[in-house]
Amino acid sequence: MFKLNLKIALRNLWKNKTSSFINLIGLAIGLAACLMLLLYVSYELNFDKQAKNSENVYIAMTNVPGEGNKIAGTFNGTTTALGPLLKQNLPEAKYVARMDYGKKSLIANGQNSYKKDSKFAEPDILKMYDYQFVYGDPKTALNNPLSVILTESTAKTLFGKTDVLNQSVRYQDMENLTITGVIKDLPENSSNRFDFLMPWSFYGIVDASAKDLNWNNYSFVTMVTLNPDVNIDLVNKKVEALVKASTPQNGQSQPHFLYKASKLHLFGKFENGKSVGGDIEQIWLFMGLAFGILLIACINFMNMATAKSEKRAKEVGIKKTIGANRTSLILQFLTESMVLTIIAVVLAIALLELMLPAFNQLLNINLDISYFNTVSWVGILGIVIATGLIAGSYPAFYLSSFNPIQTLKRRISSKGFLNVSLRQVLVVGQFCFAIILIISTLVIYRQIQYIKNKPVGFDVNALVEIPQDGELKTKFDLFKTEMLKSGAVTSMYQSSVSLSHRGRNFMDVKWEGMINPINTVMFNQVATSYDFIKTNGIKLLKGRDFSKNFASDTSAVMVSASAAKVFGYKEPIGKKISIFGTNAYIIGVFDDYVWDSPYKSNNPQVVYLTSGQTGAITMRLNKANNLQSNIKTISKIAKAFNPAYPVEITFVNALYQEKYKSEKTLGILSNLFGGLAIFVSCLGLFGLVAYSAEQRTKEFGVRKVLGASVANLMQLLSLSFIKMITIAIVIAIPISYYAMGKWLNNFEFHTNISWWIMPLAALGTLMMALLTVSFQAYKTATSNPVDALKYE
Amino acid sequence: MIELKNIEKYYSSKGIKHYVLRHVTTTIKQGEFVSIMGPSGAGKSTLLNILGMLEEPTYGTYEFLGEDVTTLKERKRIELYRNHIGFVFQAYHLIDEMTVYENIEAPLLYKKVAGAERASRIADLLDRFNIVAKKDLFPNQLSGGQQQLVGIARALAAQPSIILADEPTGNLQSAQAEQIMELFKKLNVEEGITIVQVTHSEKNAQYGSRILNIADGVVKDDITVASV
Repeated sequence: MFKLNLKIALRNLWKNKTSSFINLIGLAIGLAACLMLLLYVSYELNFDKQAKNSENVYIAMTNVPGEGNKIAGTFNGTTTALGPLLKQNLPEAKYVARMDYGKKSLIANGQNSYKKDSKFAEPDILKMYDYQFVYGDPKTALNNPLSVILTESTAKTLFGKTDVLNQSVRYQDMENLTITGVIKDLPENSSNRFDFLMPWSFYGIVDASAKDLNWNNYSFVTMVTLNPDVNIDLVNKKVEALVKASTPQNGQSQPHFLYKASKLHLFGKFENGKSVGGDIEQIWLFMGLAFGILLIACINFMNMATAKSEKRAKEVGIKKTIGANRTSLILQFLTESMVLTIIAVVLAIALLELMLPAFNQLLNINLDISYFNTVSWVGILGIVIATGLIAGSYPAFYLSSFNPIQTLKRRISSKGFLNVSLRQVLVVGQFCFAIILIISTLVIYRQIQYIKNKPVGFDVNALVEIPQDGELKTKFDLFKTEMLKSGAVTSMYQSSVSLSHRGRNFMDVKWEGMINPINTVMFNQVATSYDFIKTNGIKLLKGRDFSKNFASDTSAVMVSASAAKVFGYKEPIGKKISIFGTNAYIIGVFDDYVWDSPYKSNNPQVVYLTSGQTGAITMRLNKANNLQSNIKTISKIAKAFNPAYPVEITFVNALYQEKYKSEKTLGILSNLFGGLAIFVSCLGLFGLVAYSAEQRTKEFGVRKVLGASVANLMQLLSLSFIKMITIAIVIAIPISYYAMGKWLNNFEFHTNISWWIMPLAALGTLMMALLTVSFQAYKTATSNPVDALKYE
Repeated sequence: MIELKNIEKYYSSKGIKHYVLRHVTTTIKQGEFVSIMGPSGAGKSTLLNILGMLEEPTYGTYEFLGEDVTTLKERKRIELYRNHIGFVFQAYHLIDEMTVYENIEAPLLYKKVAGAERASRIADLLDRFNIVAKKDLFPNQLSGGQQQLVGIARALAAQPSIILADEPTGNLQSAQAEQIMELFKKLNVEEGITIVQVTHSEKNAQYGSRILNIADGVVKDDITVASV
């Protein structure tokens, strides 16, 4: 029986080429889109879950107290003192490892030098994450301070081979390190990626702030592996008590808690110290998209199948009279849909392999079909079966319910009312989804444009920055003189961080006329040199820039407009404030500019003058010269000062472009999959029209003989479909208006939904549908009536 | 084998009853060859459909093989189709997607007849009807008469005790029609299969043993055909 069913299913597919083609293409696209998004989702869901015991790995988080008893923010930075405290006093902690955030540092094998992602960590990290050692011993690899672990690809870049144990590399052109391990490259979906790993003990040598145990510098990461089966709430209570007992408590004290490290990536958004989601929302969205497109394809299948019901009804009738029961008929129709789905999934996997490189490039990630593990394949099989069942079930149950005598007499129209309306509902649903996607895409695009066009507060063009490494730290003044002399730049300054990043957050600030005994507003501080405003061009509201003409500027600060507002000053110039107990006088107030996230307003900022804190050098290019020659001159001079380091010149506007990445991804994905959804929907519409045209060939022939024009006939065929699209538009617009309004409200700075987006989306969809329908309608309407009437 | 008592069938629309059959009471015995005749719209086909349990009478009782089948569960009805009743239609109603062989095989599959038995029965039927050469063709590759032969072969495959034929020769030329009627007669005489056919043709009716004349839903005559 099954063999016969299979044979007949294949014959049916072959016989109805148009509908098979539409179903197959639709399902293949739907499945491919689904698989692609699921690939992306499984990449994201497996973030930081590679280690065997990743379930027990926690990261210490810090709550930043805010006004009232609220928690203003939560971040994953901790002090150096927390790690040892937990290690000694928390029995549940199996391993504790402190790390830095990681940065790009120079690593060299002789002349062969590169800037690579570096990280410092305590030896316990090797037990936490089971890095696969190709060479070396994980037990001892980080014991000696002057040791380093390389990843395979780093070893290859530096030495051309991976067997490099006990060879020596030079770090930041200042210290030689012995290679004590070579490990397999870390997976892309990991937050703690590095190209080379160095011991914490070496960090203490490089950076004094890492050596002493303090409770006020939150620039470090503390990872903790807890014993399995501990109650995290109890552990966190202990952690809080421990920290309370060992630090002085005041309004600025920042309580810690442990958070599952693998959850941070997707559930990294905290409100009032509680996790409230994060990127996981995007994952849900993508899953919705994936299954939505698949559902559209399934609906196509159902519609085509039920549209063909008249043809199939006869078959059902006959089979019933020769003894087929309903089960066997249902099985037959399900076999048909399963066969189609299986062919479609093969096509889909081929499509996926074909499109994956482009998709990767679009999203700037590196997905691979191997991210699907056994579980995923079982999942895919499940999806295929579910797709086959969903697509096949409605036709199967619907068709098999036909009464034989009615079908044999060709009288199913009496029962057809409900069936036609369900088909209409499905088509309306499909197009609703498509229209919602179009509107969302437009709104996302508008929002990105809005943020992009929003002034950042200074002229980003012709502004470049280079990292302040090696000799540039100590010889900055000389470097500046040389640069200015060369004429490539008009002005420049050094600062503790790049202009596009946040500086150090702090709260220990007092000011004249303060009302509360203690400040609870999070401030941000940036250390800089002369010519800060002159170079970056941030609008100066009051006062002046730092200047060599005033020797007293070493104890002067410039504050942002929002800082002046917090202080409550109408005339801030000359007012005294105290930061970490050091007095400073306000000499200038600058307008708030965009750093960190362009979507929200930033916290108040204080800029002070010091030569000690180096980080980045920002330069304003001389517009009189052409860009290339400016860059060339800068590279030449920088290389001369700093021969050990490669010169990395970054355009500041590129840094700002980077900031739109996550919304851009969202935009690309909704564009792509919105387009696909519409395509598959139109494919289904085409199939329905084609079928209804085929059924009405004779009617059209008669009408033509009676004198109907082509336009009359096209109208006849198109009108009902256009009506459905119109209903879909009417339903979709309020839904998308509401949903996108909510999405926009996530951003402090957001655009409004312009009135023209809705008609644009509606008209666009209507045009697409009209085009699809008209094509077929025209073909039918212009055919020779004799051909149609010859039959029967 | 068939007992109809006071069968009535009507459709009501807007409160008015439109009778198709009225007070039909008759008995059909095992081995009879009955022709139902009458003008168009007399209710012949409806009567046949009721006999085939494709339609339910509005009123009256119907006993098939001594069992009341007036209203029957679908499962039970399919059981009867598999074992006792074979249908032959005017429009042949072969399944377009199946070859001749598969069309004949289908009822056996539903009846869950074992493979070897199935093959031998089909071979026998193909042989008997002289359509061995056509077994791998699809219905649309056959002439009308050949299609009807396949239709009858299919009806016979499950070895039914009764064949219900709705104008089996209505779409055929007279030569082919004769061939089909001869076949029916042979089946009736040699194998004792009960046959009920609806026909317009007096000539075809002569092949049978009994004629039921229907007009306006009422049985007018019940004539026994004198065997020649």
